[in-house]
Amino acid sequence: MSPEASEPAPTTPERAEPKAGPRAVPVFLLILLLGIVYGGMIYFDRASGWFDPQVYAPYHSASELALYQPPTGGLDLSRGKTVYDNICALCHNTDGTGKPNQAPPFVGSDWVLGSPNRMIRIPLVGLAGSVMVKDQQWNLAMPAMGAALSDDDLAAVLSYIRQSWGNKASVITPEQVKAVRAEIGNRTQPWSAQELEAIH
Amino acid sequence: MSEAQLSGPLPAEAAEADASSRPVLFLIFLGAACWAVLGSLFALVASIKFHAPSFLAAPAWLTYGRVEPAWRNCLLYGFCIQAGLGVALWLLARLGRTRVAMPGLVLIGTLLWNTGVIAGVGGVLWGDSTGFPSLEMPGYAAWLLMLGYLLIGLSGVLTFHARRERQLFVSQWFIFAALFWFPWIYATAELLLVTSPVRGAAQVAISAFYQASLGTVWLPLVGLAAAFYFIPKLAQRDLHSRYLALLVFWMVILVGGWTGIGNGAPLPAWMPAMSTVATMLLAVPLIAVALNVHRTLAGRWAGLKAEPALAFVFAGTLGLLLAWVLKMALAGADVRLPIHLTWLTPALEQLNTYGFFALVMFGAAYAVLPQVAQTEFPSRLLLWLHFWLAVSGVALMVVPLGAAGAVEAMRLQDPATPFMAVVKSSLPFLRASTTGDLLLLLAHCVFLLNVAGLAVRFYRPRAVSAYADATAELPLVEANP
Amino acid sequence: MNYGPLLFLAAFFALASSWCGFVLAPQLQVGRLQQTNTLSGGATYPVARSGLAQQGLQVYRANGCAACHSQQVRQSGTVCDVMLTEAGTNELAVISALLRLKCGSPLTETERQAVSTGAGERAPPVMVFTEQDARGMLTRLPQRVRQGLTKPEADAAVKELTAAGAKAQTWIVPVGPDIARGWGRRRTVAEDFLFDYPVMPGEQRVGPDLANVGVRLPDPNWHLRHLYAPGTYEKASTMPPYRFLFEKRKVRQEPSPDALVLPPELAPEPGYEIVPKPAAIALAAYLTSLRADAPLYVAPLTVAPPAAPATNAPVASGATNAAPGAPAAK
Repeated sequence: MSPEASEPAPTTPERAEPKAGPRAVPVFLLILLLGIVYGGMIYFDRASGWFDPQVYAPYHSASELALYQPPTGGLDLSRGKTVYDNICALCHNTDGTGKPNQAPPFVGSDWVLGSPNRMIRIPLVGLAGSVMVKDQQWNLAMPAMGAALSDDDLAAVLSYIRQSWGNKASVITPEQVKAVRAEIGNRTQPWSAQELEAIH
Repeated sequence: MSEAQLSGPLPAEAAEADASSRPVLFLIFLGAACWAVLGSLFALVASIKFHAPSFLAAPAWLTYGRVEPAWRNCLLYGFCIQAGLGVALWLLARLGRTRVAMPGLVLIGTLLWNTGVIAGVGGVLWGDSTGFPSLEMPGYAAWLLMLGYLLIGLSGVLTFHARRERQLFVSQWFIFAALFWFPWIYATAELLLVTSPVRGAAQVAISAFYQASLGTVWLPLVGLAAAFYFIPKLAQRDLHSRYLALLVFWMVILVGGWTGIGNGAPLPAWMPAMSTVATMLLAVPLIAVALNVHRTLAGRWAGLKAEPALAFVFAGTLGLLLAWVLKMALAGADVRLPIHLTWLTPALEQLNTYGFFALVMFGAAYAVLPQVAQTEFPSRLLLWLHFWLAVSGVALMVVPLGAAGAVEAMRLQDPATPFMAVVKSSLPFLRASTTGDLLLLLAHCVFLLNVAGLAVRFYRPRAVSAYADATAELPLVEANP
Repeated sequence: MNYGPLLFLAAFFALASSWCGFVLAPQLQVGRLQQTNTLSGGATYPVARSGLAQQGLQVYRANGCAACHSQQVRQSGTVCDVMLTEAGTNELAVISALLRLKCGSPLTETERQAVSTGAGERAPPVMVFTEQDARGMLTRLPQRVRQGLTKPEADAAVKELTAAGAKAQTWIVPVGPDIARGWGRRRTVAEDFLFDYPVMPGEQRVGPDLANVGVRLPDPNWHLRHLYAPGTYEKASTMPPYRFLFEKRKVRQEPSPDALVLPPELAPEPGYEIVPKPAAIALAAYLTSLRADAPLYVAPLTVAPPAAPATNAPVASGATNAAPGAPAAK
């Protein structure tokens, strides 16, 4: 049992190199490996969000993350603003004050602040003929937007109009737009002001 | 045993292999020892700053945020990787029953490597740190390091290729993979983090990958290569099981690189989740290493008391096992507790680099150098002194840091505890770990003394005789020590 | 039979797996991240830091500030509060709904936990036992009438209150010790670092987390004084002084407007002043630019609507909450 490097003189021939024995890996180790892999998969399934780049801990999945988004009521108007600036602002002006001989204002307008059912109908197929907005007579044609905008976009832009520039009306949901769209069916003829005033 | 003795290399071959690697090994280990001493000086300075924040605070280059990475880089690149490469080369030559191929390359490579570390550590102190942990050395140093490594690695691959013993020992697997792995990860990290950096938090992932690939793949590959060779060699036994060793090999290269991303990292949940699973899988190689070492040493435990080299390698292997246990515990606890942002993180890192790798390398150096020099170390007492200083230093550094981390993690959980109270509660532990730093500094000085003593003992008679030759112009018999 | 090449290939793939997973995949997922919109108001997030703050980031890097300071707020969970904003016209119905929902009643165990770990900046709930209390509650609107619920529970409560004619909302509230400590309002996510190089989330909290230090301590002069002499704010601070970022010079005709205002024991002798070097000013600009608290899709939270009088409340109370810890060892 004498340690090799101490006793023999430095010039003694080298002892043999070690070999590696042929004993097999114990079975319990392989079972442990499988066990950890199994447990790891369960953990990964629960905690990882399956490679979704938007899921961060403590959220476990994309659906949980979606559930915990704050309600959009009056909060997220960014999408509506984008749609408005791209489409509506050409005639109605970026601040919703309208443009003479092009389009009436939205600010403080009863058409905007009133019943959602009435308001949703206007962009879907348009509005033609004479209409009173804030004690002023307008006689123009609003084109139909129903084919160009999805329910989500319409809801977003209408909500934006109802909540901006001092307007304080309830938001409009995509479901409401969808319901109205279904109600009017495949009508393409623009509304008249009288028709709309009958709707509440 | 008898079979093993028959198939050993012929003494002449062994001597040839040793002679071919002698100058470079001396250079490498002397260089590594110097870096270890310098590194632990920095460590001591950094550690003292916790008790006296204004200690050496005036010069910019000695501020904590520069000294701390300087220390870690001295240790990692100056000592660990350099010594690891030296041991790897020697093992490749010895196990292949051949000589180190193109030692000139190794010589140039080692010089480049050391110049690189000088430039790198200097750069960090100067304020050129890259800001990525374990990769702080600036780009200009990285080129030198990379080139130096490639030259040394090339020699390693050529040595492996020229082997005369076709039967592979497990250590060769480990070393061969490690030789390729470092340039791969280093080039990846340097290119994607420093040369043409990726955008935003992707840097966090790549930096974590680099740290894990170095600390949980490269270091274990080289360290275990040495342990699986020197433990049976010094205990005069065969390694218990080749298959257990190979299991360790495959698990480490498959799993190690995945272990780096902590739960709080600003990255999508699947990355830390994957890291947690990968870390848990380390249990398998951990048990395999423990079994293999235990069964190999069974009945030969007395060898530990007789042979400092064996004691070092064994203590280092124990350090690896502890480091992996701690790593698994942290990964498991971190799911609930923000534990990885506490002192437990440096505790784990130092357990891995000092407690495992450095100890194994000390043992390997003490086993290799007397053989290549055909000379004994001047004093066995100093070897034992080094052993006890190093082991108690590591323990005194790691245990208090770990305790500080555990206390910190628990107190940070309670928002009613003011942060300053948390800081205060870790100070006594930090004081103890400063003692550990001091002991390690002494240990490294003793190591330098030992290696230098051996070099002097080997070269002095030759120098004297050469000098006598030159002056007396008379043929002289070569002096033997 | 020569298995060498096969084994070499296998080892190559084993090593390549982690490379693909943690280098390639993050680069494809996170490295290509673009600016996004915040949840409230849809502002673009993040915006690049100012040039001065970007220089400050380099000072932060060069001096290894990340060795002691993390920039990652952790979040252990998300709870929901029910925020009652308007009582509506039918007060009796609302009161009975409040009583039915046990609003503000003594907290259940889970609620207590959520509140104790996450309610740093939130007012304690008003206890409702009687109709009288409920009536009192209605005089102090808007009011968090229930805290620490799950999303479905909160939504159900909101529905019930809405049915009673009141206006109520579900508020999303991230919780966790870091958040309770006032270190942030939500966890840190990849978006927060989009324009930074290098990204230094830090490894340790020797000092407090800095992810939102610009929210807690928005005054650059505070940071300058603190960098010069951390002990002025917290005697036992372990932060080293960074005097090399300042210079002491003779007062010329007039004192420099940048000169530090220091307590007498630290002030230089008369006729001299301590002036921050450009690096210190940049570092302070960087620190005050650290605010990673915008509500995002990936890290949702409800913030008080901008019009409400309570706009600054979270920020202000966050700052006071952080006060005992924040200046500590920074």
